[in-house]
Amino acid sequence: MFDGLILLANGVTHFLTPESLFNLAWASLLGIVIGALPGLTATMGVALLVTLTYKMAPDQAILSLMAMYVGSIYGGSRSAILLAIPGTPASAATTLDGFPLAKMGKAGMAMGIATTSSALGTVVGVFFLALIAPLLAEFALRFQSYEFFWLALFGVIISGRLTAIDDPIKGYIAGIVGLLFAMIGMENLHAHQRFTFGISQLGAGIDLIPAMVGAFGFAEILTVMKRKVVPEMAQSTDRVIPRLGDITKHWWTTIRSGIIGTIAGIIPGVGEDIGSWSSYAAARRASKEKELYGKGSIEGLVAAETGNSAVIPGAMIPTLTLALPGSAAAAVLIAAMLIHGIRPGPQIMIENPEFVYQVVGMLLLSTIAITIYGLSLTRLLVRVLTVPREKLMPVVFVLCVVGSFAITQRMFDVYVMIAFGLIGFILREMKYPMAPLVLGIILGDLLDVNLRRGLLITDGDPTPFFTRPISAVLWIVIVITIVMSIPKANESVANLFKRLLPQGRSG
Amino acid sequence: MDEQTPEPERQSDWMNRADFLTGVAFALLGFTIIYLSWIMPRLEIRGIHPSTVPGLVPGLLGALLAISGILLGAKALVRIRGKAGWRAFMAVFASEQAIRFAVVSGLCLAYALILVGRVPFWLATTLFVFALIVAFEVWLNDAPKPLLRSAVFAAVQAAIVAGLVTAVFQYGFLVRLP
Repeated sequence: MFDGLILLANGVTHFLTPESLFNLAWASLLGIVIGALPGLTATMGVALLVTLTYKMAPDQAILSLMAMYVGSIYGGSRSAILLAIPGTPASAATTLDGFPLAKMGKAGMAMGIATTSSALGTVVGVFFLALIAPLLAEFALRFQSYEFFWLALFGVIISGRLTAIDDPIKGYIAGIVGLLFAMIGMENLHAHQRFTFGISQLGAGIDLIPAMVGAFGFAEILTVMKRKVVPEMAQSTDRVIPRLGDITKHWWTTIRSGIIGTIAGIIPGVGEDIGSWSSYAAARRASKEKELYGKGSIEGLVAAETGNSAVIPGAMIPTLTLALPGSAAAAVLIAAMLIHGIRPGPQIMIENPEFVYQVVGMLLLSTIAITIYGLSLTRLLVRVLTVPREKLMPVVFVLCVVGSFAITQRMFDVYVMIAFGLIGFILREMKYPMAPLVLGIILGDLLDVNLRRGLLITDGDPTPFFTRPISAVLWIVIVITIVMSIPKANESVANLFKRLLPQGRSG
Repeated sequence: MDEQTPEPERQSDWMNRADFLTGVAFALLGFTIIYLSWIMPRLEIRGIHPSTVPGLVPGLLGALLAISGILLGAKALVRIRGKAGWRAFMAVFASEQAIRFAVVSGLCLAYALILVGRVPFWLATTLFVFALIVAFEVWLNDAPKPLLRSAVFAAVQAAIVAGLVTAVFQYGFLVRLP
């Protein structure tokens, strides 16, 4: 107990050095700017920054990436409020009440509330991160090949189901395609080269960073430049620093949204956008002023912004303890950790326990940074939004090219970036979610090696995959998820519940 | 689908047709992967356990992809069967958005695949940034800017971006740029 508290205190104080504070300051500000600019997302920002920080010391590099992540998720609220365009998908729910508030001349207030809600959301999530991560890591030490196989499949399936609500098959397809990308290159059991078609550079497999830069950078550039709309910006003249009463009035919404956001973060590959939408929906259902939602409800804004920010620490829970990315940006963070010699997974609390608490420290310090920037730099951040995309996007593409090239200094990675950009663009246009694809690329190796290793241990007998207790829970959840995504099965179960429950309570 | 069809219905019809085509494509890809996994060496000569052959997981994933592709395609086919609308589907590829996409992707590909590596990085970057800004400010814009004005500002921005990126990566991060 006390060990944990001491580690936690060390985790925060570790970064109270001039170098760390400097990195925190620029990375979180850059994050806010990237988040605020429509078309530049958190995942893209983090992926591009990996290429700029790979020569830093590991703790400083991860600090910069976390600050960028927190900053960009928060920054998305600016354009959501002022332009009615979410700067990142995470702020889509913020637009619903943020923009109407801005139209009423309360843009400053909306930005202030968004800032404090984001900060409080991160704090709620950080609380659960510090609490749950060590316990989960300890629990996961019992996992063997069988459990890791199911865990990898569980991640891809759950992510596919929850990120493609309208058509789960598209989510599953995205996940399977991601897993298949991971099959390219040398497999780890017998060192056999698969699907390389004589291209020697494919031998080491597809590097995640250029793939992410393509799927989230180049694809986004194509999407943004293709559209024609030019948004109109709301004016901000009122005070930004919120009154204490405005914050404390919605304390219950803040805590509930923080918890919902954290849970969304823990679920593999389910990101900030879903955390935000679910908190918003829950707040609306519980609200006494439902009619105000969508017309400028402060409660709605609080729910959306608390929900998306709480996802970040929530996502770090499975990311650190199971190496199972809680969100798309967390997948990039895993790749970055591996580049810097940090191995996330159940062993982390044994090999590197101080790192988990350092992540807690990074998140808390980033929260302080975004609060300071958010409440003080209003003018500058408004000016950022006026940069026309014609001038911005070519610069971003140059960074995508040079960023993909920089890590291993080979043109092949630029080609990977281009290929993933085009694939990502087409899939996005066809309404396929990107998160399961990313999860697939990260988890493919885990799934492949553990299935075959498990079968090797049992001499080809698959029974333990189904009978071991944790495995059984995982595969049953997977089966239920898939069956429930078939509309007919879903309907029958709903009807069954209606019949079982007393009348009037079913709806 | 004709001009009078409401927009949401037209969009869902377009998506159904796209789903049908992508469903077929994924099913074919799935079958191809099953085949490639089947013919993948099974390393008998090294005496490995037959349940650990390298083609096992890709084969299973290929099968899952084929099944998902067939389901997606079949579901879409049921919705579009008997309805005319392939012409409206194709019209999207000649729309203004398609032209904007063609220009931006063409410039990006020309820069990354042709220019970079063949001409000095700073020059390639200057040309690319300049061309993209001018194309989207002067021609592909509802409120076009005068060519000369746009070109001057674009040239200045292009030179600054190329200079900065080259300097930062070459001297700051010690990357040998292509």
